[in-house]
Amino acid sequence: MQNNGSILASAVALALLLPSSASTHHSFSAEFDANAPVTLKGKVTKVEWINPHAWIHIEVVGENETSVAWMVEGGTPNTLLRAGINKNTVAIGTEIIVRGYQSKDKTCKPACKANGRDVTLADGRSLFMGSSGTGAPRDGADPREPSRNK
Amino acid sequence: MSARRRHFAETARTAFVAILVLCRFVSPAAAEDEAPAAWESPRMDWGVPDLQGTWTTATITGLQRMDDVDELVLTPEQARRIEQGSADFMASIDQVPEGDLAAGENVGGYNTFWMDPGSRLARVNGEIRSSLLIEPEDGKLPYSLRGWGRLLKTWWNLDNVDNPETRLLGERCIVGFGSTGGPPMLPVLYNNHYQIVQSPGFVMILVEMNHDVRMIRIGAERLPAAIQPWLGDSIGHWEGDTLVVETTQFNPGQSFRGSLRHAVYISPDATVIERFTRKSEREILYEFSVDDPRSYSSIWRAEVPMLATNSQIYEYACHEGNYSMLGILAGAREEERNPR
Repeated sequence: MQNNGSILASAVALALLLPSSASTHHSFSAEFDANAPVTLKGKVTKVEWINPHAWIHIEVVGENETSVAWMVEGGTPNTLLRAGINKNTVAIGTEIIVRGYQSKDKTCKPACKANGRDVTLADGRSLFMGSSGTGAPRDGADPREPSRNK
Repeated sequence: MSARRRHFAETARTAFVAILVLCRFVSPAAAEDEAPAAWESPRMDWGVPDLQGTWTTATITGLQRMDDVDELVLTPEQARRIEQGSADFMASIDQVPEGDLAAGENVGGYNTFWMDPGSRLARVNGEIRSSLLIEPEDGKLPYSLRGWGRLLKTWWNLDNVDNPETRLLGERCIVGFGSTGGPPMLPVLYNNHYQIVQSPGFVMILVEMNHDVRMIRIGAERLPAAIQPWLGDSIGHWEGDTLVVETTQFNPGQSFRGSLRHAVYISPDATVIERFTRKSEREILYEFSVDDPRSYSSIWRAEVPMLATNSQIYEYACHEGNYSMLGILAGAREEERNPR
């Protein structure tokens, strides 16, 4: 039985190692359409600093001067705060450029939705600072970081 | 391509890349440092060891042994290469070409705007670990055939989008995804912080993900068997300077715990025994065993360093604005109206 179990385990190990529907709070493909990339440029109208994910609302003005409301999903506020981003990082009225993927739900009610794969300010600066080098994410491994514990 | 196949393709790609990154530079193993000198734990006023503080379990060491690695312990050179490879990978997913994003199956919709998995391999007693699992020796979960069957059955139901109750508990904001709240408490993609607060008769563990609270009653009676809390019923006692916590009576709805980092199935009548030992000012050694004969052919054990962090633990009120559930269900209805 053990051997049979091992054989079966090998056959499906990759699939079961990483169940897609549980990759973050929700899976990308459960909510967003990988075949619908979008590039959005508009001014921030509202920042919802909420769990489980932050949302940035922008007003996108199209070629015919009509404006469309979009709301862009980002990471969890907890992680964003540790990355140096807070609710006031992007002021209302700031122009940003979002590259991401539209939601599968394209009814656009009350606003069109997309995930924020990349969010940059008009001057080209990235909204977030990702990990690089030794890694920005805090894992408590840096002994230079003073401990708040006793 | 069906939604299930797209899901599989998405995660298979992520898994493949992650495995490549983690295993690319591996060679034979050895210990990194000498074992740390004995250290005396601070104590609470009533005499028990002081475990209080904010701790993180974030690490790039997975629950199971990384592929192509036989040994539990890595050499410093292996570790350096793996950690640099991981850092390079995390940086690379932030560096996307100019212009519009590509369409397709494996677009990589998440980057460090979303994730915070840590950057270091786990160090336990001076050893750099290739898996959190220390038993079985091969570092793989010892699923029995029946256990695999349960896991597969759950797997095939993951794409059920009929209504909110068909979705995973993490999406529903019932508990954190994966086994972040445990027990056993396992690292996930982000929000791996835990706060421990003690009082006479109780140890409280605040789990950052989903703001779950584990209330461990010291030396108390078990809850009536009919009561099955989401995180089980945890009773603790002290063995010397080690807090030992035995948890049973798991909620059946919490059996499957899947995340990008692990997929475990804990039966409602499993017994999880955790051991918390403060090893230094900056570390608690978190050990646990899972005894679940309905799903596994043997008991499995793991060791996870909990490191002190200066970072604050933030509230994760998941129901605050869970637009994602609406989006998932609305997207499914859209696909029903307009199938590809």
